Amino acid sequence: MLNMNNISRIYQSDTIQTHALRDFSLNVKAGEFVAVTGPSGSGKSTFLNVAGLLDNFDRGQYELDGVSVQGLKDDELSRLRNEKIGFIFQNYNLIPDYSIFDNVDMPLRYRGFNASERKRRVEQALEKVGLASRFKYLPSQLSGGQQQRVAIARALAGEPKILLADEPTGNLDSLMARQVMEILHDLNKEGATIIMVTHDPDQAREVNRNVQVIDGQLADFKIYAPLDRTSENSGKTVSAAVSASIAEEMENA
Amino acid sequence: MNIKALLKSLLLRKFTTGLLILQLAITLGLLINSVILAVDTNNKLAQDTGLDIDNTLIVSLHPTSGEYRNLDYYRSIVSEDLQQLSELSGVESVSLMNQLPINQRGMLGNVYDLDDPEIVHRDKYLRDSKIFLTNENLSNTLALALLEGRFLTKDDQLDFGSDQNGNVLITESLKKALYGDGSALGQETNNGRIVGVVKDIMLNPTIPVDKQYGVFANRVMEFIFIGRYYLLKISPGQVEAVRNKVSDTILAVQAERDIYRIMTMAEHMKRFYSHDKGLAELFLLLCGLMIFVTAISSYAYSQFHISRQKKYIGIRRALGARKKDILLYVLTENWLVYSIGCALGLVMTLGFNILLSQYISLSKPDIMLFLLASAVIFIAGTIATLIPAIKTSNIPPVIATRTV
Amino acid sequence: MRSDSLFVYNLTLAMQSFKRAPTLYFLIMLTLSIGVGVLCANLALVNSMASDPIPEKSGNLFHINMNTWPDDQPPDEPMHILRYRDAMAITASDLPKRSAVFYASGVYARDAESTSMKRFDSDVRATTPGFFELTNAPFAYGSAFQKSRGMEIVIGDQLNQKIFAGKNSVGKTLELDGELLTIVGVLKPWILRPLFYHPTERRAFNLTDDIFAPLETAIDLGWSIHARSSSAVDYAGIEETRDKDVYYLQVWVELGDVNQKPALQSYLDNYSQQLKDAGEHPLAIKNELHNVNEWLKVNKVVDQKVLAFTLASILFLSVCIFNASSLLLSRFHAAKFEVGLRRAIGASNRHMLMQGLTESVLLGLFTGVIALVLSWLFLKLSVQFLPRLTNLAVLEPKLLVLGMLLALVTSIASALYPLYRANRYTISAELK
Ligand SMILES: Nc1ncnc2c1ncn2[C@@H]1O[C@H](COP(=O)(O)OP(=O)(O)OP(=O)(O)O)[C@@H](O)[C@H]1O
Ligand SMILES: [Mg+2]
Repeated sequence: MLNMNNISRIYQSDTIQTHALRDFSLNVKAGEFVAVTGPSGSGKSTFLNVAGLLDNFDRGQYELDGVSVQGLKDDELSRLRNEKIGFIFQNYNLIPDYSIFDNVDMPLRYRGFNASERKRRVEQALEKVGLASRFKYLPSQLSGGQQQRVAIARALAGEPKILLADEPTGNLDSLMARQVMEILHDLNKEGATIIMVTHDPDQAREVNRNVQVIDGQLADFKIYAPLDRTSENSGKTVSAAVSASIAEEMENA
Repeated sequence: MNIKALLKSLLLRKFTTGLLILQLAITLGLLINSVILAVDTNNKLAQDTGLDIDNTLIVSLHPTSGEYRNLDYYRSIVSEDLQQLSELSGVESVSLMNQLPINQRGMLGNVYDLDDPEIVHRDKYLRDSKIFLTNENLSNTLALALLEGRFLTKDDQLDFGSDQNGNVLITESLKKALYGDGSALGQETNNGRIVGVVKDIMLNPTIPVDKQYGVFANRVMEFIFIGRYYLLKISPGQVEAVRNKVSDTILAVQAERDIYRIMTMAEHMKRFYSHDKGLAELFLLLCGLMIFVTAISSYAYSQFHISRQKKYIGIRRALGARKKDILLYVLTENWLVYSIGCALGLVMTLGFNILLSQYISLSKPDIMLFLLASAVIFIAGTIATLIPAIKTSNIPPVIATRTV
Repeated sequence: MRSDSLFVYNLTLAMQSFKRAPTLYFLIMLTLSIGVGVLCANLALVNSMASDPIPEKSGNLFHINMNTWPDDQPPDEPMHILRYRDAMAITASDLPKRSAVFYASGVYARDAESTSMKRFDSDVRATTPGFFELTNAPFAYGSAFQKSRGMEIVIGDQLNQKIFAGKNSVGKTLELDGELLTIVGVLKPWILRPLFYHPTERRAFNLTDDIFAPLETAIDLGWSIHARSSSAVDYAGIEETRDKDVYYLQVWVELGDVNQKPALQSYLDNYSQQLKDAGEHPLAIKNELHNVNEWLKVNKVVDQKVLAFTLASILFLSVCIFNASSLLLSRFHAAKFEVGLRRAIGASNRHMLMQGLTESVLLGLFTGVIALVLSWLFLKLSVQFLPRLTNLAVLEPKLLVLGMLLALVTSIASALYPLYRANRYTISAELK
């Protein structure tokens, strides 16, 4: 599903060069739920931005859902973002002037669906996050957790291949965070591929794969003893993930 | 494009948007009415006067010495002037007059048929008919077109102290007013016996074209002291050459004269409309300034709006909007504002037209002009917002992930 | 003391703010001052046209219109020009404190002793001697002529400058159309805007006359009428007009007391009634008295075109204010973080408002200065386009003040809403 090979991302300012990612390689299979952890400033967000095609990279190869990304034009990148990726941000990033419905509707407009298709999808997505009754509200009229659920609905509505979430619960209290996590887990069970950056070790432990970024590189997680248990966890669910991805491939065929 | 959502977000910043819309509407209103004013003035200047305005030269002058109190002397000098002027090469014919056509006031008088003096109560324009005192050369000099009868001749000339009324030539509209479709020849008016009718020329542009009442009498030698205007008919292309010689020729006959002005009939007409033209130009100038200010506003509006929207544009890009989607989004937003502005501008145009009509005369706005002006506003506005819009579409999608 | 230093602090903040966004503030100042300048230039024209040229007694001076036309086809009803005998009948009354009977003429003038034959085209007011006191004509040298007949004249400053280089020319002789007349008085520069004593025939903004001559003498000399005249009969020259039905004289009277107006009115009506009884005129009795301002109004001296343009410039100014307002809004929005910070460290709402107002007052002052320069320019430009109004293009002190006030008001007006908005930005929202 996602295949990164020796990716480098260098931020160049007048005086300093920051290697936010250096020779970063990662392979994520369909149906996986990957938690990305690591110290602050280690390059997690940079990785996610590159993965989400929001940011470009300087060296390396990146293949998303079988499409090789480097060298694509801006418009093609936009189309990939729109069709294959659902992004969930730490601070929700809803458009405050737009109602819930219009927010979820927005990416579908760029996809070019007709009105009835859009309506169906928006309703379905809002249903999934349990906010179907609020579609006329403005974001400011919702709690943080609800707003993040709207953001999830927006990411889902386009039926993306992969969900990317950068600290989705970072701004939420534990109860709200719980709700959001449950939604993500449900989605994962239904077959969604999810990559999530988090600072919360408990959240990391819940998912079937953990990766750690240190200094712009994937760390060898064996160094970290507590993660042993997690790797077992992931071992258990891999088969489920694989079968889900097989089912998906069957569908595609 | 989600027009409904667009409208909603416009409503959320109704103050700035409202201001811009008002500005656009006022600008449009002023622009259209100014153009109407300019077009009106140009039409006035371009209207047919029945005269060869480019090849008719006017000399206005006045004697400065006391000698001229002797009218015989006065007459002899004028006759010599006319003789000398007519000998200039390029001059086809010379005449003189007490007043000029294309003028509002001047020597006015009642005109009626002696059998029907009451007619002046029925047609008020008859009370302000123009009385031209001139000589037999006028018809030649102004190339008047004879409709019936004959032109004035030397024999029609009256001498000092004559108590006769003499023979007169009248304009076509005066004939129609007095005698309808019948013949006017031989009819006796309070101003004299009609011997000929000529096609109308523009006498007073401020009254209707079919009320150009004029009477021409061969009496200027009798009232020589009011023969203030020499008229010269010039061969085409010779106007400047003759113009340069006129002063010297006249002053060579007798130097104690003040020559106010040597101008073509076209220049005289321009002078007549100079106040109108000046006003129209002032209005256009104001329009230019207004468009300048409004352009600043639309630029600032989109700039300001975009700076506020930077993050949301980033979000849109992150969610898959292409650059051209963003460009279209920004432009559509502005077009929507312009559309509302133009719609309100229509109201403004009409209102302003009515308001201005209280003070000056101007035509009603027509829809073509409105569409044209709206198009100008649209194009100008699009150009003004294009740069910010392109800049916006270049906002990178990563912006979305940055916490401001 | 404390508020004083706060004021200085506010001033420094305002200056800093200008320096931080110079283009923006320049644009605001530019557009506002163009708007104020254009309007101010127009108001200057309107002001000149609408002002009272002789405020000390404009209510006591009356122009007389009468209806004495001998048949039933008068050119106007009533007429503002009178016959010689009608005019004389009015001066015969002892109701008015003084009166002036005059007509406008023109002659060519030269210094009789000069060797140069150059003659100057001069406007003439042929008048009875009452004119000078009635109009408060200001004398520089000499005095008015005392009688309506005599080879004496008073000349205006401009002609005195042209012929005598501004020196005291009392006692000198001018040759006017071949006749010799002696100067008994020279006026100071005399500006009447409008020229209230002769606003008809679009002359309201002509200059005051060059030569003032005794009425009877001018008639005797045959100085022709250079203004509106109407006659019911033929006549060869003005010399013959005293006992003919030729209408060309204008009459002004000064009443010591405005309450005498009805008395004067009935005096005129009586006179007309006598004429009517004698069968000399068939029409209804219709005599009118207009004081200076009424007479100017009747003659529509305020140019309608200029009024129309003033209307347009008001609209233009509003567009400029809208523009400034939206520019300021964006400026304040950009600075809202700073506003939030200041509020957080204890600046009260009032402080912020004062700071904003200081800024816009300062802005208004700058704008006002530019606007005054611009309005002078626009005034010059307007008369390029409308040359007929050249004599009107003056910026009086009161207009300078008005311009300054307009600039201040517009500047504050355009800052009002942006300020209100800026003060509503909540502290927490901006400092999250
Ligand atoms: N736009 C940028 N310009 C320059 N340097 C940047 C930029 N964005 C990130 N960096 C640098 O790249 C490195 C990686 O940043 P990144 O945001 O990926 O860290 P992170 O792991 O997400 O940290 P956190 O857990 O605090 O969110 C940091 O050193 C950061 O300073
Ligand atoms: Mg991060």
